[in-house]
Amino acid sequence: MKRNLWYVVGGLMLLAFAGFSLMSFQQSLTPYVSFEQATTSPRMVQVMGGLQKGSADYSNSEKALSFTILEPKSAKQLRVRYHGVRPGNFDDAISIVAIGRYDEGTKQFEASKLLVKCPSKYQGAEVKTYS
Amino acid sequence: MNALTHLYLPGAVAIWSALIFALAAVWGYSQALRGDATAIAFGRRAYACFAAAIGLTALMLILVLLMRDFRIEYVFQYSGLDLPGHYQFASFWAGQKGSFLIWLFWGTMLGLAVQRTAGKSEASVMVIYLATLLGLIFILVRENPFVMLSQSPLDGQGLNPLLQDDWMVIHPPIMFIGYASTAIPFAFAMASLWRRDYDGWAARAFPWALFGFLVLGCAILMGGYWAYKTLGWGGFWGWDPVENASLIPWLCLTVLVHGLHMERTRKRYRRANYVIASMVYLSVLYGTFLTRSGVLADFSVHSFVDLGISGWLIALMATFVGLSIWLLATRLRKVPTESNEDPILSRGTFLVLATIAISASAFVITYGTSAPLLTRLQANVAQVGPEWYNLVNKPIAIVVGMLLTFLPYLTWKGDKFGDLIKKMIVPLIAGTLIAIAFVAWKVHDALDVVLVLFAATALATNLHKTIAKWRAGGLRAAGGYLAHAGVGMMLLGILASSAYDESTKLTLVQGKPVTSHGRTYTFTRYLPPTEEERRDRMEIKVVEANGKTFSLYPRMFLNQRTQQLMVNPDIRKSLSADLYISPIQYDPGQPQLALTKGQQGEVGNVQVKFEGFDLNANGNALAQMASGKQITIGTIFAVTRNGQTTQVRPVYKLNPTNGQVETPAVDLPGGGAIRVSKINASGGNVEIELAGVENRATLAVDVTTKPLIEMVWFGLYLMLGGGGLAMALRFRDSRVLERVAEQRAAAA
Repeated sequence: MKRNLWYVVGGLMLLAFAGFSLMSFQQSLTPYVSFEQATTSPRMVQVMGGLQKGSADYSNSEKALSFTILEPKSAKQLRVRYHGVRPGNFDDAISIVAIGRYDEGTKQFEASKLLVKCPSKYQGAEVKTYS
Repeated sequence: MNALTHLYLPGAVAIWSALIFALAAVWGYSQALRGDATAIAFGRRAYACFAAAIGLTALMLILVLLMRDFRIEYVFQYSGLDLPGHYQFASFWAGQKGSFLIWLFWGTMLGLAVQRTAGKSEASVMVIYLATLLGLIFILVRENPFVMLSQSPLDGQGLNPLLQDDWMVIHPPIMFIGYASTAIPFAFAMASLWRRDYDGWAARAFPWALFGFLVLGCAILMGGYWAYKTLGWGGFWGWDPVENASLIPWLCLTVLVHGLHMERTRKRYRRANYVIASMVYLSVLYGTFLTRSGVLADFSVHSFVDLGISGWLIALMATFVGLSIWLLATRLRKVPTESNEDPILSRGTFLVLATIAISASAFVITYGTSAPLLTRLQANVAQVGPEWYNLVNKPIAIVVGMLLTFLPYLTWKGDKFGDLIKKMIVPLIAGTLIAIAFVAWKVHDALDVVLVLFAATALATNLHKTIAKWRAGGLRAAGGYLAHAGVGMMLLGILASSAYDESTKLTLVQGKPVTSHGRTYTFTRYLPPTEEERRDRMEIKVVEANGKTFSLYPRMFLNQRTQQLMVNPDIRKSLSADLYISPIQYDPGQPQLALTKGQQGEVGNVQVKFEGFDLNANGNALAQMASGKQITIGTIFAVTRNGQTTQVRPVYKLNPTNGQVETPAVDLPGGGAIRVSKINASGGNVEIELAGVENRATLAVDVTTKPLIEMVWFGLYLMLGGGGLAMALRFRDSRVLERVAEQRAAAA
């Protein structure tokens, strides 16, 4: 009897863990969205766009890197602010993925993580930022 | 034949002959299984030829890389004239094709050792093992690294500057030994099911499972260290799909090692081990599919693009999933099991629970990494970030810490709780004291406190037991305890360094000390590249609160070939916390600025925002342009200094007849002057120069303290060291068993 009780307890704990991880999984998903959706969504999302040449600058007072990305389909622009270290091959990126949240106040996309895509010659190109 | 004309013939011949020899070896071993006693010798010879052909293939690729033969596409893509010697080896595995070749190479070489440890199961094991290698050969035949270009370029495209690092020479090949080794326990397990010979495989596969655990673990450790130390990614683990693809098989191997331990000592897990051994290899194939088919190209920073081999990878996966399911479905119920139920408080039960916990971790990580595939059917493809992985793995870490705390004192036949506590009271108190120290320091979150408590007690009890074993002269048998002490230490280090790190961004003006968190930082000078130091460095003098002084040299340099800006952090290591300085931005202190409309720039302490042109600064500029008189274009800037913003309007005068330009300077409030040096009216941008504004070189850095991060590395060393001890023990076991079996056969 006692053994069966333990099995029930163990099974319930596993179930609870499965439920917890599934629920948090749904909440933690960061979907790829269009620029338009990104500016209206309150949740963490990711956007991808081409870097507008010459738009990037680092501000010492804000301690942040700001740049503009262009959405290929809609030709929309999005100003992105990133408080991390400028990724190594940032300037010759063919496209940039920014993961973060749109800030209504500053009208900027506050990125917490950037993924930089380089020209295809570096198929193993890796640049990343942990944050 | 057309396909052959643009292949580098010696290389292509080597690969094709490897394929033929591999098929011959499969044929020979199959004949041996049918009862032809002489065929096994044929199989071995064919395998030796196959291994020679693969060795030759690899050698050929090394040679063409060393000769810089840019006619060969692979050499052209990943090497270059300016690439230093040892990086030319790294070009071998810089691309997709070469990394499959190095994987195949190690797999083939390990096969030579598998032959010798397989005993009487050699023929069946080698057939399955060769099948796993054939999958790789097919990919290489399709994705041949010896494809030639139609003309011969003078120089190659060079190796990605991010990969030009000493770790690149050593880390990937070790990773691929690890991947290659996962096929070995799989082959033993499948061969055992296939031949319905359910005894003996566990003893033979056990040391190989430990070998994979050890090598893959080393590779993961190196990858983490590389990311932390050189790449400046800010941490040692980012839950990136490519990282997860190596972690999941390693977790599966960890489960397998414990499952085999239970099978060897208690005859438990006899059925489960077959499933686990298949999961080990299938998780490698699945990880390879995820990271190399391009399905995650927009999600991984390692950015693998679709190379047209997705179909092959899916076929490979389907083949081995099919094989495992078929063998497991038809044979598993026939595997004899002894139902010896362990008492709740016993070593057996705790080990079972630990394998369940680690499996759960492997499962959730697989699930998370697959998110982009799972969400493909929804409107927006999505992924999960590092926070989720940390969140779901924390409860698992707590459970593992708890189990490890008690494991060293539990016996197989069961214990009473009171006796148990009595036996382990000293290390329990020691662990609790460590945990109290953490709480006193700054760990207050409830879950973190529980994790720290169990991690510390696990460290203490396992270390206690290791020392006891060592004193009794049995260090060889203490591998498990040593490894578990390492897990406890590692968990403490991971929690302290990643959840309790402190990071600030500092703007360092050359020569001006800045104080933050008790340390004073001074950017003293920029060091240009020299013969010994090929990369530009920044010297930062750091003064500790206690007066201790040292300098750190983070690097920031442009790769000459690609014009990529490269950043390397510098680290001051110490037992209590690493001080990690990563450069963000370097401004050499020039007084010019180029601004587009609405953009703001900084020179020294002056912020300048370009608000726009003024076409009526001195009469209408457009009218002047039409009449051919001197044109005056006004510009408007908002200048902010010490928090006060004023508007200044310098002008730009152009005489269209002789092209002469006048750009009078306008005084700035608070001293200095501004003038417009260049105008691009159609592009809407200007270049300005500021004079008389103090402007020194400025370096922006990210300063992070990572408490107890050394415990992560040291814990990993202990864990892998323990794994190594266990491996040595189990290889010996396996040999002894083999000899006993031989003697019995001879006697009968």
